[in-house]
Amino acid sequence: ENPTKQLLFSIVKAPGCSSAVILGLFFPCSDESLFVYDCSSAEKQPLGEKGQDGKGTDKGSDDILAFAFSPSGDYFALTDDNKRLILFRTKPSWECVSVRFVNRRCTSLVITAAEDKIFVADKSGDVYSYSITEPQADGKLELGHVSLLLDVALSADDRYILTADRDEKIRVSLTKAPYSIVSYCMGHREFVSKILVIPNCPDLLLSASGDSTLRLWEYKSGEEVHCCQLSTICGPQATKPDQKFTVSRITYCCQGGYVAILCDSIPTVYIFQLDATARQLVYKEQISLKHKGWDIAFEEMGDLWILQEDKEAPLLLYRACDGQWKAVTDDKGLQKMSKYIQDNWTVFEGEKFGLKV
Amino acid sequence: MAAEEEEAAAPPQKRFYRQRAHSNPLADHTLSYPSRPQDMDWAALFPSFFPPDAAPGTAPARVEFVDVGCGYGGLLVALAERFPQTLAVGLELRGKVAAFTRARIRALRAARPGAYGNVACVRANAMKHLPHFFRRAQLSKLFLLFPDPHFKRTKHKWRIVSPAMLAEYGYVLRPGGLVYTVTDVPELHQWMLRHFGEHPLFEALPPAQLAAEPLLPLLPSVTEEGQRARRAGRAPNSAVFRRRPDPPAAAP
Repeated sequence: ENPTKQLLFSIVKAPGCSSAVILGLFFPCSDESLFVYDCSSAEKQPLGEKGQDGKGTDKGSDDILAFAFSPSGDYFALTDDNKRLILFRTKPSWECVSVRFVNRRCTSLVITAAEDKIFVADKSGDVYSYSITEPQADGKLELGHVSLLLDVALSADDRYILTADRDEKIRVSLTKAPYSIVSYCMGHREFVSKILVIPNCPDLLLSASGDSTLRLWEYKSGEEVHCCQLSTICGPQATKPDQKFTVSRITYCCQGGYVAILCDSIPTVYIFQLDATARQLVYKEQISLKHKGWDIAFEEMGDLWILQEDKEAPLLLYRACDGQWKAVTDDKGLQKMSKYIQDNWTVFEGEKFGLKV
Repeated sequence: MAAEEEEAAAPPQKRFYRQRAHSNPLADHTLSYPSRPQDMDWAALFPSFFPPDAAPGTAPARVEFVDVGCGYGGLLVALAERFPQTLAVGLELRGKVAAFTRARIRALRAARPGAYGNVACVRANAMKHLPHFFRRAQLSKLFLLFPDPHFKRTKHKWRIVSPAMLAEYGYVLRPGGLVYTVTDVPELHQWMLRHFGEHPLFEALPPAQLAAEPLLPLLPSVTEEGQRARRAGRAPNSAVFRRRPDPPAAAP
């Protein structure tokens, strides 16, 4: 382990809020500062600018709609309901690099491994790229679906761009030639809510959908290799007979191949393990939450952070010990972040949150 | 299906299949479509091409021609006669129009056994469902005859030719495959020329090959829409585009 490695951690206020805040925590720096950025302070698009059809631009809020780190953690980008795309550099310290404007509200974004571009997926089904090396440059239209995009991902080598829409489709295109569709991963029966390329199995794609399944794909050929019926696996503990398991969050850890998911309206984190040789997902255990879970994120070393709607314990930290996940309470970072949230609970209370490690 | 066949061996009459001309392709119509191409039961649509006693190991027949927005089936009937061994499917979004065309094909098959078994109409939304029905590089011909112009600027995203749709046509068409477009609306013709022209996967057929293209003279008049345009004195504009080879997989 690299002793000088920074642990980058941010809590971002997600949809439903009137102002947005990002917190960043770095350690083991001596100056354990929290970086706080209030999005409502960022410049807005000038009013009076008419949209393409001659109508005035509608007034949005400062809610953050999507955010992501670059794979190395050097950059962070977010997009909000006011159609702003804000880029931050995180090293040597957090600073805002640029504020640009997108055409339509976005649902997801991803930064290339080369850290030269941000790809943003929007509600009209389009993906635009925004340069990082030229942080003020306008966006460029890369590809489009007919229906609303819910998620966008890149293969680890940036070669493929994957897009998931509300009409059950996952499309795989060449990043350098996005008009060229390599394959479709067909099989989901409802909107595809989340997609994730497995970093240490770079031919595999994990997807989640409103059809209550998690699926593994060999995405270059579009072949489905495993389908996990969540209602069967997690079902026995369900409260309602026809409970839907719509995954709202997926996080993956290369260390151990763990997959953790959060489903809408279910206060439980389900943990699976990827068997890369057999190309199967194996259900391991669940972590019941006393309160609604907002978000989950694995850090590189394998610890799992959980953000929940609870003033007493807004942040939970879990660690795998002999294959069993146990809560950790004596972590300094955890205590510091929890204290900050508790001190400012009125700001956070009742709102939805996101987590990125 | 069986009951329908019994009652409707007679040719259908349009007055029983009235429907508004414009349909919203972005709406969620209740349509049935396969989850994946391999789940589609083509044998039900083309029974004569899926004999139960086929030798094991023979590759199943596959659709090669698609008429996007087939309307009342005029092109399908012409394709059935000219390419009797090639499977052609018409996709039509409007329920009653699709039902009319299915009834029309049924009547033709009944009147001439052994003929018209290679064409069928499916009620589907081509803008959303192409990858559900067809595999990569499956098709050799795609037809866009008299597409709905959707004149208003706010409706342009309903147009069947757009950068998003061209990527999908590029996906289902094999390299060398052809797209035929015909319209009596000059602005729409320019729109299609521009979009196909700008798209790296397509090239316009050079004039020499265009002149030699046997289907082209037929297309403006073979459909209801084409005949209506001709009666009104509106000239048809045709174009043919070829699907170019795939770009080399980009180096990282």
